[in-house]
Amino acid sequence: MNISKKNLICLLCLPLLSTLLSGCWDDRELSELGITSGSAYDWEDNQWKATYQVINPSSGASSTGGTGGGSTSSPPFVTFTVKGKTIMEAVEKTNLTSTRQMFFSHSRITVLGESLARQGVNQLIDMFLRKQDARETVYVFIAKGEAGDILDQLMQLTKNQGAGIQLMIEQESRLVSYYPGIRMFELAMALSSESGSAILPEILLTGREVMDETQETGRTDLKTRLALGRLGVLKGEKLVGWLSQKQAFGLSFMTDKIKTATIVFPSKPESGDKPDASFVLQKSRTTVHPKWENDHYVIDIHIKGSGVLSELGSVMDLNERASITEMEQALEQQVLELVDNSWKEVRKLGADVTGFAIKIHRSDRKRFKQIRKDKNWDRVFQEIEIRPHVSMKIERTGLSNKSFKSVHEK
Amino acid sequence: MPGNPQRTNPNKSDNAEQSVPAPFPLDPSLEVNLQVLSHRIGQSSDIVVRRFTNESLSSLELAFIYIDGLVNADVVNQGVLQPLLETVQLKSEFISATDAFQMIKTQILPIGGVKEGNTLEALLPMLFDGYTLILLEGLQVGMAADTSGWEKRSINEPTSQGVIRGPKEGFTESLRTGTSMLRRRLKTPDLRIEEYKIGQRTQTGVALVYLEGIASEQVLKEIRRRLNAINTDSILESNYIEEFIQDGGLTPFPTIQNTERPDAMAGGILEGQVGIIIDGTPFALLAPSTFFNFFQSSEDYYQRYDISSFLRLIRYSAFFVSMLLPALYIAVTTFHQEMLPTTLLISLAAQREGVPLPALAEALLMELTFDVLREAGVRMPRTIGPAISIVGALVLGQAAVQAGLVSAAMVIVVSFTAISNFVIPSLAIANSIRLIRFVMMFIAATLGLFGIMSFLMVLLIHMAGLRSFGVPYLSPVAPMVPRYLKDIFIRVPLWDMTMRPKTILGEETRRQGEHQQPKPQGEDPV
Repeated sequence: MNISKKNLICLLCLPLLSTLLSGCWDDRELSELGITSGSAYDWEDNQWKATYQVINPSSGASSTGGTGGGSTSSPPFVTFTVKGKTIMEAVEKTNLTSTRQMFFSHSRITVLGESLARQGVNQLIDMFLRKQDARETVYVFIAKGEAGDILDQLMQLTKNQGAGIQLMIEQESRLVSYYPGIRMFELAMALSSESGSAILPEILLTGREVMDETQETGRTDLKTRLALGRLGVLKGEKLVGWLSQKQAFGLSFMTDKIKTATIVFPSKPESGDKPDASFVLQKSRTTVHPKWENDHYVIDIHIKGSGVLSELGSVMDLNERASITEMEQALEQQVLELVDNSWKEVRKLGADVTGFAIKIHRSDRKRFKQIRKDKNWDRVFQEIEIRPHVSMKIERTGLSNKSFKSVHEK
Repeated sequence: MPGNPQRTNPNKSDNAEQSVPAPFPLDPSLEVNLQVLSHRIGQSSDIVVRRFTNESLSSLELAFIYIDGLVNADVVNQGVLQPLLETVQLKSEFISATDAFQMIKTQILPIGGVKEGNTLEALLPMLFDGYTLILLEGLQVGMAADTSGWEKRSINEPTSQGVIRGPKEGFTESLRTGTSMLRRRLKTPDLRIEEYKIGQRTQTGVALVYLEGIASEQVLKEIRRRLNAINTDSILESNYIEEFIQDGGLTPFPTIQNTERPDAMAGGILEGQVGIIIDGTPFALLAPSTFFNFFQSSEDYYQRYDISSFLRLIRYSAFFVSMLLPALYIAVTTFHQEMLPTTLLISLAAQREGVPLPALAEALLMELTFDVLREAGVRMPRTIGPAISIVGALVLGQAAVQAGLVSAAMVIVVSFTAISNFVIPSLAIANSIRLIRFVMMFIAATLGLFGIMSFLMVLLIHMAGLRSFGVPYLSPVAPMVPRYLKDIFIRVPLWDMTMRPKTILGEETRRQGEHQQPKPQGEDPV
């Protein structure tokens, strides 16, 4: 090697200088960050109205920490509401009132106000997909009134409200399966798919007052709590209507989103329509097969499920195969009703949240292209006939065979 | 030297050249010889010169010269003085000096090591090795009898490389003790011990220990060449040798292992390494050494292979933790906050709320404090030792956090880093990453994870380019030889290690027979 010592030193200094010159430009100390856990967007006076929920670390939102200094009476988060002609203008305006720079990477939820959902959500989705620190994995909700109010509500057990709502929807979709949690990218994918429709769970306040003072969370039974409500249906980019929780449940069966669910049903035909038994559906699989019949599509929906009996209110001997079969038929009837009921509403709304368009496109590309070309999907959708086939299986009956009522009556 | 036939003295021409005067051939006159001698070594108080004249009976005149403290007084008295003075033949008038010399050498002295020398320069080094010089009037040749025996530390447990299971003896400052410990472990004629004297003024004994046929000839040649090339006046510890002969003079990574344990050295020698024992220090060297050698502890072979493998993996993780943890903390908290789980981020943010310093300054402060504490712990007199731990634990651990100077998380990071550093069995490599850690911290504070990755790349490239006496530093991983990975990241059962790691050694690669996994044979005994 012919490099002299002097040159070598210069050579070694260059990378050192380059680190000093190029480094540090984007460093942020933790104490300069406003960690945003949730955001809400409304449409007001032809402007975006954005509300940001910023975590207040010193309130001990997660642990006591070592530094102290945080008093328990300070709220676990603070909210900023700003208006702007665009979303980013609103974000920038927060810096006029906040000491900290908004940091969106830990955002968990986004709530859309009904006003905005009726106006259209495309621009918001674009911002989420474009901006570097905005995460597409946030759960999206829709609120009936002002979305910003949702973020003000304090939560019990979980101080970080955004994370709390995320937990709520995750547990709901895992244990109850009325509707799945929808993340921003799923919303974007659904809206850009063939069906062009999407669903969004509603989040609501159970009472009229907003519990936004820390003293109020000291109560055991909050007057107002956050709750998951109906299911908003978006078509194009706009909100077109709502599905009730029952209809949403039926939709879950049609779209194979069931993980675990509880179905209530009448255990005996004699007991009429009054449900007196519960069944925990542990496994469920839905397959959808569209086919063209004469002039319209017929969709075969096969729903296969199995689970455990968890509650029984009538006199019954479960050792008899016949009684199990009877209950299974009652169950199937329940699911059929759910699906039919849901389908009626979906068809009324005209939004293909069932994803039939995707199925049809995949099984019958030529005809689907033609439909697209003729732009008469809406008419085709209205003429779709569904044929649900449900098969439910009670695999176990729990820890006891006879119902307690039959023991008692003896 | 009859007592130690294996001891060869292949070379010492290089450093003898600079001895001050020209060699002085012994004069027939004893008087002249003694005068020159006293001129050369001065009037030091520990040098004993005794002259015996026995005028009434013989004309034989002799002088004994030895250094008090370097000789064993009993041996001098009973082995040299007494036989000489009591032997009747020597008192005869008719005996010539030459005959007397032969007689003394072959019949009278009951001592194993007796040497001759005909210049002062040949005799003097022996004097300093504890020999007793015997000069006779009228002869141009002197005799040196091995009477050496000085105060030595007894064999103790190694202080820096302890084990739970395994031999508890460590090298001492004495070279001869060291070589004897190896001889006891390797009872094979193939064990070679070559001795050098290095350092013009210290004349430190340096022994090269290896197994003929197992150590690579090339490596040996290279080590000999480098040892011979050392031109210095003093060798006081093995690090002197290490720095003079190790590859890659400016690298932070050690390319020579040091060990206090004779069993570790025997193990290394059996795998083809060359041991270098230096007089005056219990720390001996092993070369060539690859990066992975520094993570092998001799205890790995003294306990079951599964736990050894587990511990070895822990050591590698500890290596990375010790090098990277503070840097990662800085990078993540100043650049990549999105990478942390939200709860952790909030918790960290809450702790950093009242801290006045940026993350880098906080980390530097704590790391430096720990290094100060550590150094203080080493230097501190033993009686004050406990004070250090109290100051360290209370002042740093608790008070600093309560005072709001540093965050609790930073204390955890620093202590975990420090503890991880002690997991690595070799202090040499643990020290090298102590420094790299600081570089990493600065880079993390300027360039974040990107910088850490880049610097790791730089380190990796540097290590891949290193050689230890011709052996690639990262072998057998780079260049990859899958067969020799049996003792690198994990340790396979001993019966499966049939081959020696070829990366280091010469021809003899087979260590033991194959298929030695114990299996029941015939019927069960019970």
